[in-house]
Amino acid sequence: MENNVKFQVRDLDLYYGDFQALKKINMDIMKNQITAFIGPSGCGKSTFLKTINRMNDLIEGVRIDGTIHMDGVNIYKDIDVINLRSRVGMVFQQPNPFPMSIYDNVAYGPRIHGIKKKSQLDEIVEKSLRQAAIWEEVKDKLKKNAQAVSGGQQQRICIARTLAVGPEVILMDEPTSALDPISTLKIEDLAEELKDKYTIIIVTHNMQQASRISDKTAFFLHGEVVEYGETSQIFNNPKEQKTEDYITGRFG
Amino acid sequence: MKIENNQSRIIKDTIGKILLYLASALSVMTLVVIIGFVFVKGLPGINIDFLTRQWQAKTTFINVELKNTEDTNLSDSYIASLGAHVEQNEDGYIAVTKLEKDSVLKDSKNLKGAAYEVKVDDVITKVLATDTKNITLEELNKQFNDAAMNGETLKLKVTRPGGGIKPMVVSTLYIILLSLAIAAPIGILSALFLTEYAKRGKILVVIQFAIQMLAGIPSIIYGLFGMLVFVQMLKMQYSILAGALTLSILLLPTIISTTSEALKAIPKGYRESSLGLGATKLQTNFKIVLPNALPGILVAIILSIGRIVGESAALIWTAGTIAQIPSSLTGNTASAATLTTKLYQLLKEEGDVASACSIAVVIIVLIWVLNLLSKWITRRFTVKN
Repeated sequence: MENNVKFQVRDLDLYYGDFQALKKINMDIMKNQITAFIGPSGCGKSTFLKTINRMNDLIEGVRIDGTIHMDGVNIYKDIDVINLRSRVGMVFQQPNPFPMSIYDNVAYGPRIHGIKKKSQLDEIVEKSLRQAAIWEEVKDKLKKNAQAVSGGQQQRICIARTLAVGPEVILMDEPTSALDPISTLKIEDLAEELKDKYTIIIVTHNMQQASRISDKTAFFLHGEVVEYGETSQIFNNPKEQKTEDYITGRFG
Repeated sequence: MKIENNQSRIIKDTIGKILLYLASALSVMTLVVIIGFVFVKGLPGINIDFLTRQWQAKTTFINVELKNTEDTNLSDSYIASLGAHVEQNEDGYIAVTKLEKDSVLKDSKNLKGAAYEVKVDDVITKVLATDTKNITLEELNKQFNDAAMNGETLKLKVTRPGGGIKPMVVSTLYIILLSLAIAAPIGILSALFLTEYAKRGKILVVIQFAIQMLAGIPSIIYGLFGMLVFVQMLKMQYSILAGALTLSILLLPTIISTTSEALKAIPKGYRESSLGLGATKLQTNFKIVLPNALPGILVAIILSIGRIVGESAALIWTAGTIAQIPSSLTGNTASAATLTTKLYQLLKEEGDVASACSIAVVIIVLIWVLNLLSKWITRRFTVKN
């Protein structure tokens, strides 16, 4: 069981200046599963997600106490942030491909990590786009500007871009909230396919989405984890009153 | 509600409207009058010669080895022994109108023995000691042919006519290139540092305040500084390098603030995505941030060119007002007037209003073109997000 833990989070506190955004988070996140974070706006779920690949480092005035271990290594102490981010990829809420061709978008990651050979890049780009289930749609227009395709396609290109770096974990920060229902379904299917190879953590506002695709769910409220457990248990048989109130739509 | 004083309100309204129309008409008219005045005075002086000739006429004595030919008849004002077509110009002197490929004038030598290539438009003012004024072409032809038959070398006095702004155009170009080569990299990198690296706080506020202050300093003060530091202390003399360095300082605030605006307009998501893929900050800045700010940077550069073209005060005491094409960066062969400093000098020292207006027309057209270019770039490359 211990071997299946990807992230071990212990007593994690996070402050934006004087404001404490995360309070004593303790959580084990499993390998090759989809873990969903749900909760109302401002509950800290996105903030927590960003501590996992240290995107919060970019914000001034952030202070973090406690530890996160990935495969037993403290990610705030014993690993270089560049290395961490290439192992823990992230997909953002807004599809945000760079204003360059689809090919260059996907090849961006490998290139900055030093891969120059055309044949190798070609291979990575195709593989990543296939994994992101968008190869068939874009294979004839790889030279086209990535911002010229639909929002759903852009988001899958962004996923391909993340996969191209060869991460172990994919963080998804409300990846479908800017997309139409059909694109949303495609991303969800994709997430389920990807979990065989990757550990996926997804923040979502959409509770149906969490119940559809995730193995485990954490319910956040006011910076605390109210309840964390198997998704079926959280949705069918929550232990906490607050969780039940939230998932039945009494607030949030 | 009872409406009172309707009449007086209407009158007030009318008077107000008339005042507005008058004010705007006055300002438009002023502009039209100024531009009109400059164009009316200046346009007649603009022609190909004005744009391509040297400013000052230059006289050289040359030795020409004439070619002995059978063709001694003067036909179509062609002097065969010279290999050149000539004509009498307005002043009665002999102007070269066309040179054959193998014309002996092309490889004549000056008195020091260095090669001097006679060009079309050059004027032959003396043959040996004889003034060519009002000499007939037949006489001239005969003199040349006789000399050619005897295998003589003739000494000619050749004047290359001036009255053109070529040196100023070239100097302006040099100063633009030099100033931008210095100011653009420094300005762009400073902007990058200020927007992407500097921590928000007192120091940043002070720096930004300083940049705003610098932007507001009158250019003559930069000129004063440039003269004291570059021209005198660093012994560059009046030179294009001293001028360009002074202008670079003057341009920095504009380049920094325009580039900063362009950098700030780049969506945060680009930076996050790049960093999220494991790129370093430097990689992100040079592969994502700067390329996307390129249109803004281009606009900054075009604005700078406009500023350089229009600048006089900062250049008069640093680059000097000599109308020559500079042949070095510093020293006495490097002094060079730009179009604008020449315009200033023409008015102040020579009172040559007509030439000044012609230069003014060239400057105005140049600035218009630059403005249109910057607008076009802004429209063309504005990234839609």
